[in-house]
Amino acid sequence: MGAGAVGIVTAMPEASGDTTSEPTAYLQQVMAEIDAEVARRRASGDLPAGLERELDELFLEFAPVGAQGQSRLREALSLVDGAAFVDIAVPVASDKRAGRYIKRAVRGFTRFYFDFVVHQIVRFAWAVSRLAHQLVDRLERVESEIDALRPVPVPAEAVPVADDGDAWWAPVAVKALTPVAGRVLHAECGTGSLVAALQAAGVDAYGVEPSQPAAEAAVAAGLDVRGEQAEEHLGVVPDEGLAGIVMPASLQWCAPTERAQLVALAASRLAVGGVLVLHSSTPAGWLRRAPTLLADLAPGRPLHADTWAHLLAGHGLTVTETVPGGSTGTVERVDAALPGAASINAVIELVEQSLLGPDDYVLVASREQ
Amino acid sequence: MKLSFVTPRYGPSVVGGAETAARMLAERMTTRPGWTVEVLTSCAQDHLTWENVEPAGTSELAGVTVRRFPTAARRMREYFALDGMLRVAPATATMAQAREWVARNGPLCPGLVDAVAATDADVVACYPYLFATTVDAVAASPVPVVMHPAAHDEMALYLRSFRATFRDVDGFVYHTRAERRLVERVFRVGDRPQVELGLGVDEPSGTGRPGTEVLGIGDRPYLCYLGRVDSHKGCTMLAEYFVRYKERHPGDLALAFVGPRSGPVVDHPDIVSTGMVSEADKWDILAGARAMVSSSAYESFSLVLLEAWTAGVPVVVNAACEATMEHCQRSGGGMWFDSFRSFEAVVDRLVGETGLAPALAAAGRAYTERFYAWPALVERYASFLAQVVERGPRAKLWTERLPLITTGTPYVRED
Repeated sequence: MGAGAVGIVTAMPEASGDTTSEPTAYLQQVMAEIDAEVARRRASGDLPAGLERELDELFLEFAPVGAQGQSRLREALSLVDGAAFVDIAVPVASDKRAGRYIKRAVRGFTRFYFDFVVHQIVRFAWAVSRLAHQLVDRLERVESEIDALRPVPVPAEAVPVADDGDAWWAPVAVKALTPVAGRVLHAECGTGSLVAALQAAGVDAYGVEPSQPAAEAAVAAGLDVRGEQAEEHLGVVPDEGLAGIVMPASLQWCAPTERAQLVALAASRLAVGGVLVLHSSTPAGWLRRAPTLLADLAPGRPLHADTWAHLLAGHGLTVTETVPGGSTGTVERVDAALPGAASINAVIELVEQSLLGPDDYVLVASREQ
Repeated sequence: MKLSFVTPRYGPSVVGGAETAARMLAERMTTRPGWTVEVLTSCAQDHLTWENVEPAGTSELAGVTVRRFPTAARRMREYFALDGMLRVAPATATMAQAREWVARNGPLCPGLVDAVAATDADVVACYPYLFATTVDAVAASPVPVVMHPAAHDEMALYLRSFRATFRDVDGFVYHTRAERRLVERVFRVGDRPQVELGLGVDEPSGTGRPGTEVLGIGDRPYLCYLGRVDSHKGCTMLAEYFVRYKERHPGDLALAFVGPRSGPVVDHPDIVSTGMVSEADKWDILAGARAMVSSSAYESFSLVLLEAWTAGVPVVVNAACEATMEHCQRSGGGMWFDSFRSFEAVVDRLVGETGLAPALAAAGRAYTERFYAWPALVERYASFLAQVVERGPRAKLWTERLPLITTGTPYVRED
């Protein structure tokens, strides 16, 4: 195949109801084919190496520094290698007749000088290039090890999109956050129903939501909701910049290290006197009610309310209220007048707690230091 | 509701993405029932000299009340020396150096700042972040200020004087998600009210004349670049890539640079450069193109992409530009390149595969209609401004007005 032809041609998407995901999927596939074609052509060496490098440098010359390093580390490294060579054979061509001879003479006279200087420059450049290679090698090794440790990602479709405005615990959250003065963040706010409920109560609330369709629906409803992850967002909020945070639902099942990072980040962004609201399944409620795929693939498990109180205290947060919720079943007690009733009722209570206890709870904590 | 825009330059003859965006928005907001819109701006038209050319005072332009104030000084040559010095490591510049840079970048309009300080508007909207008018207006306004940063990843963004300015803004209006992420990352203002608004696109206003006729290239197929023709916009790279492409793929394909030139354009039989053209010619050229190439790595929105899609033309963008990449990836309406190799492969594919261009263009058009139709966009903007006003008076301010630097050697354009 010549340089002009691209090997694979992707079929265009058939028309269907979904007008957003199909064109982007089609484009992704086309671009993947182009990437493969580019790799093939590079390997074929049909462009002189020097020219290819010059053309690559031309692109980098007009690109932001940040963009140059992304996924192009090896290419950037090859540019460093290429630039490590310094040519001392200065061109002597000239428009003027005598110019060529003069330049050649100057080159001859100064050669010993440039030989000496350039030798040192090249040694330095090679040392830098060597160091860069070692760093990139190590970085790639570390990245590969981290990738191996990473848990299997939970598919997006397995995570229910929040619609917390109508949840049993929404009034608790609204009541806890109404007195605060300042911005209140609902992390993973879904379509923003709790943000709307908070705003209706006079709270200066906004939200973030990783599901783009849900975030777009919230924006269409006139809410200040951004399509991003809670952790990503908290990273760009100033320290003590928030008066309240409703923590994300994924906090209950994310990996323990991720959970610790998110809690530390949220605590640092909460102003002194700020309020944190955390809704979670109970461990028993999780087993009973979590969606199968999520329950099986989630890297973490929900904690008991007492454990949360302990963890939050480590970040200067004091739990001021814990409200259990969900379907708490009750079993009828045996008449206390009957013989052995006390023992039987104690057992019933135990069974109730372990099997029919609350599905979930909401914690309200405040930052006091 | 009274809305007061603050922008360094204003008018249909001003070429500049942010200034054009401000004008488009002001003209639409002024037609909204119950809204009064004014624009506070300088008497300058040229951002390199800040020379007062328009008369000071109040006038009306396309239904918008425009109040012009003279600049206190032209741009001085000292600006370029300072800019060169700070460019290498902007984050290490002192606060005094950074404030001097902003003041020397101008335009310094004391009258405009006084007018902002005495405004009877409900909200002030500043456009873009880079200029002294914005920094001073944020410092002086007694009413909530929203900023349209029009920011991209450039040296000035990292000057520390802008940190206080951004901290004092009551709400941000972003062109794209990429711009919001950039600003939030640099200034940590993620907690502020914001809206990703973008810009609306007008319906194509071409005459139906073939683009090849406007360009005078017979019936050759062509790619086009639309906008200021400048090496900083990647035009030198694009021309060089195209010339190399043609060496390896001889044929009819031509490249048209359409827009005002900031420097010489490569002299090559397959490349034409029109200079500034009328709106009608622009749309006619666009409509006939195989693809519109946006070679710039520094765009904060790129209205021309949406115009290309509206005209039924796919786009090819620079992969290092987050804003144009975001448009392409979200819409599925354009391809990108990050080297000569990928440029070559993308052009091959667009030229050689019949169904690809229409499929991409259709996806781009659907995206444009969904997110950038003017009526919905104006509604979103009005609702956002109302929310910002509703949040009440401004919090403690961190900024002060800039020093009025009028000394130095006036810069005179050499072209």
